[in-house]
Amino acid sequence: MTPTAESLEWEQCSTCCIQKLERRLQHTGELLRRHGSIHAKDEVKEATLEPHFTDCISRDLETFRCWWSPGSLHNLSTLGALKVFYLKKDSPSSEWKECPEYIHENRECFFDSNHTSVWIPYCVQLRGQNITYFNEDDCFTVENIVRPDPPVSLNWTLLKISPSGLSYDVLANWEPPPSADVGVGWMRIEYEIQYRERNATNWKALEKQPHTKQTIYGLQIGKEYEVHIRSRMQAFVKFGEFSDSIFIEVTEIPNKHGLVPFTLVVIFGIVGVLIVILLIVISWQQRLMMILLPPVPVPKIKGIDSEMLKKGKLGELNFLLNGGVLDGLQPYAKELYHEESWVEFIEMDKENEEGGDKVDNCNSDTQKLLGLPHRNINGLSVISHPDDDSGQANCYDTDLPEHDTQMLIASMLPSQPENHQASLDAPASETGERPLIQTQIEGPQTWVNTDLYAQVSNVMPSGGVVLSPGQQPKIQENTTGSEREAQKGGKKSEDCGDNEGIEDWKKSEPQFQLLVVVPEGSGSTTKNNAQQTSTPPNSPVPGPGYQTIQPQPMETKPAAMTDGSQPTYILPESPQSQLFTPVADYTVVQELDMHHSLLLNPPPSHSPSLCQPQHPLKAPMPVGYITPDLLGNLVP
Amino acid sequence: MSAHIRPVSPVFVVLVCLAFCSRLSSMKAASICTNGQTGCHFISLANLFDRVIQHSARMHGISNDLHSEFELYFLPSKNQIGRVSHNCHTSTILTPNGKENAQRIAREELTEVILKLLVAWRDPLWHFHQDMAQHHEFNNFSSNKSLEMSDMVHELRKGVQKVVEKMQMLGIISPSIGNLGTPEALLASDSAEWRLMNDYDLLYCFRRDSNKIQHYLKILKCRIVPEHGC
Repeated sequence: MTPTAESLEWEQCSTCCIQKLERRLQHTGELLRRHGSIHAKDEVKEATLEPHFTDCISRDLETFRCWWSPGSLHNLSTLGALKVFYLKKDSPSSEWKECPEYIHENRECFFDSNHTSVWIPYCVQLRGQNITYFNEDDCFTVENIVRPDPPVSLNWTLLKISPSGLSYDVLANWEPPPSADVGVGWMRIEYEIQYRERNATNWKALEKQPHTKQTIYGLQIGKEYEVHIRSRMQAFVKFGEFSDSIFIEVTEIPNKHGLVPFTLVVIFGIVGVLIVILLIVISWQQRLMMILLPPVPVPKIKGIDSEMLKKGKLGELNFLLNGGVLDGLQPYAKELYHEESWVEFIEMDKENEEGGDKVDNCNSDTQKLLGLPHRNINGLSVISHPDDDSGQANCYDTDLPEHDTQMLIASMLPSQPENHQASLDAPASETGERPLIQTQIEGPQTWVNTDLYAQVSNVMPSGGVVLSPGQQPKIQENTTGSEREAQKGGKKSEDCGDNEGIEDWKKSEPQFQLLVVVPEGSGSTTKNNAQQTSTPPNSPVPGPGYQTIQPQPMETKPAAMTDGSQPTYILPESPQSQLFTPVADYTVVQELDMHHSLLLNPPPSHSPSLCQPQHPLKAPMPVGYITPDLLGNLVP
Repeated sequence: MSAHIRPVSPVFVVLVCLAFCSRLSSMKAASICTNGQTGCHFISLANLFDRVIQHSARMHGISNDLHSEFELYFLPSKNQIGRVSHNCHTSTILTPNGKENAQRIAREELTEVILKLLVAWRDPLWHFHQDMAQHHEFNNFSSNKSLEMSDMVHELRKGVQKVVEKMQMLGIISPSIGNLGTPEALLASDSAEWRLMNDYDLLYCFRRDSNKIQHYLKILKCRIVPEHGC
């Protein structure tokens, strides 16, 4: 049972090894039995020198042959010494029969179709003269010992060569073995092709399939391949012999060279062009976006830069809206409002000693409004003089209205300069003829960042208007206000009776009051808006921190006054009585005059003569206020 | 969703109706064909034969696999056919044991043998499958194969009966073949000999018989419709 090698191992091992060996041997024997192979028996029989059968094979399921070996007993090797007997178990009463056909040269017993029955168990045995050599493993059924012949006419054709020119496919075809009667359907055969390179050792097997052709893929050009085929019955395990090998070789085909690099060049060229286009699109993205999708113009307000708004520079915005008092910005502002005729700018003097933008504005505006002639007022464009005035003797000083208007404007604009300079007095003194409407402004008046407008918070019964304060102006009163007033009254024969409003700014408290007083009975046609009224210092005081200017025709007017209307100058209160009440932040613009300038109090309509008669105020006017119904009082 | 389903559902219904109607028409065509018209070739006999032959080949393959697996478990001490008394219950059925024998006997006889074999194995395979399911030492692969095997026997029997009917309709064979669905045939097949066999012998016998069936069908086809594949 055990080969010699196994026996040696068996001697050398310990007990556990013995057990392993036993198991291994058992398994080996069983495997051999399972496949019905009698080959293992050769080794066994040789060891025991018994005559035995080497193999029994059927080629076509119709006949079968058995070969035997005499063993080591050479005395039985002579012809005829051994006989073959078989038993066909087709009935319980079957008997052993002798081999129907001997082929002694091969020690072969051939069973022809008459003696062959499929699906019936056969048993064969050897008989000597007196000994029967029989092994139960020599029983079989014919279908289990079938090994078909190999196919014939194995041939191949080239299917295709790969585009790279390195590999190719081959279609192999063959004929079924002639011995196997496939045509009648008696045998159903499946085939297995194996191939290998010329000098390789391992065969590659393709999948078994019952058709008579099969494709071999992936053969390489330039190499020689060896192919052979074998067959077996379907659903059985025993293969037949291999056929003779055929050799396949395909050499290179030179005319295919040009195509491959050409296609590669084309592909790479296309890829490169695409990359370049992509880079161009990425780099010029902005320009392309501008070309393809031009930006839609957004609405804009002239003169207002959205960027400035974003930055929150409200002061500059105020400045611009004010008309650009600063020299540097004025032309800019003028350009902004170039096409709008109704906008006229105040052109302020450069001699603003304060230096600050807002301070200058406030200063000049306030002073001019109040009639302080410290400034050289040039080109007052916002509040323009009537042309009529120029022809005649000055009903009023050209400066004055400017002063007045500027002061008025300054009053309108709460963001007034901080200081009303004492120099205001100087021009006033120079132009004695001017109806000096000198407010209490003297000394530095610092205007702190006041708002653009001042709200009228209250109207005094005396006619004064109380404005709520925007910011904190510092106001110092002008002590000489009353004197000026008197001077004005004396000198102002030609005065057309300005109705000038005097604005008072008191600085004692952080309150800003604006008092605009309309002079009583003063029919002076002041083209300027300024109506300055001054209240006597002893005007009733509405409250603390309050200074009202009551309209009083108290000033002595020169007899030259035509209509006898006396300009009333209401001086601001003396600085002693400083009344502070919250004043509004803005004033109300009544209307525009003919020159499209903002009027706090619309001028009374009158004859175009420069020297307009003073219009007596028929009725006392409310302070700082000319209501439309009071307009008639002003009209001569 | 319902709004979408609504227009789809009638379309779907129409499609289903079309599919069924086509089937019905084909079946009607089949019923028309059974009236004996010779020009009816919606499924040719050769095609039918091919189908049953493929089926039998597969059945034999499965039986071979099961038999090989059983050898792993049982490890018979002898050759797979070692025992003399391999008494299959189908041994009583006379079957041609060679090619010439199969070619010589009448078509009807050959067909009858096939049907007998198929009928004889229906119950034993079913019980074999039951045994396989109960004995958990067999893996699921074997259990599935046993179930498939029993089903295939059943299917193959029906298929062969269809072939027989077609052959009888075409007049190839005489209608003298007894209908094996009759109670007499069933009683005959219910010999209960197979209950005495163990599983391994049963598998061995069925493996042999499935091979017989396969060969007989092939022979029968090439005798009756020898156009192609023969």
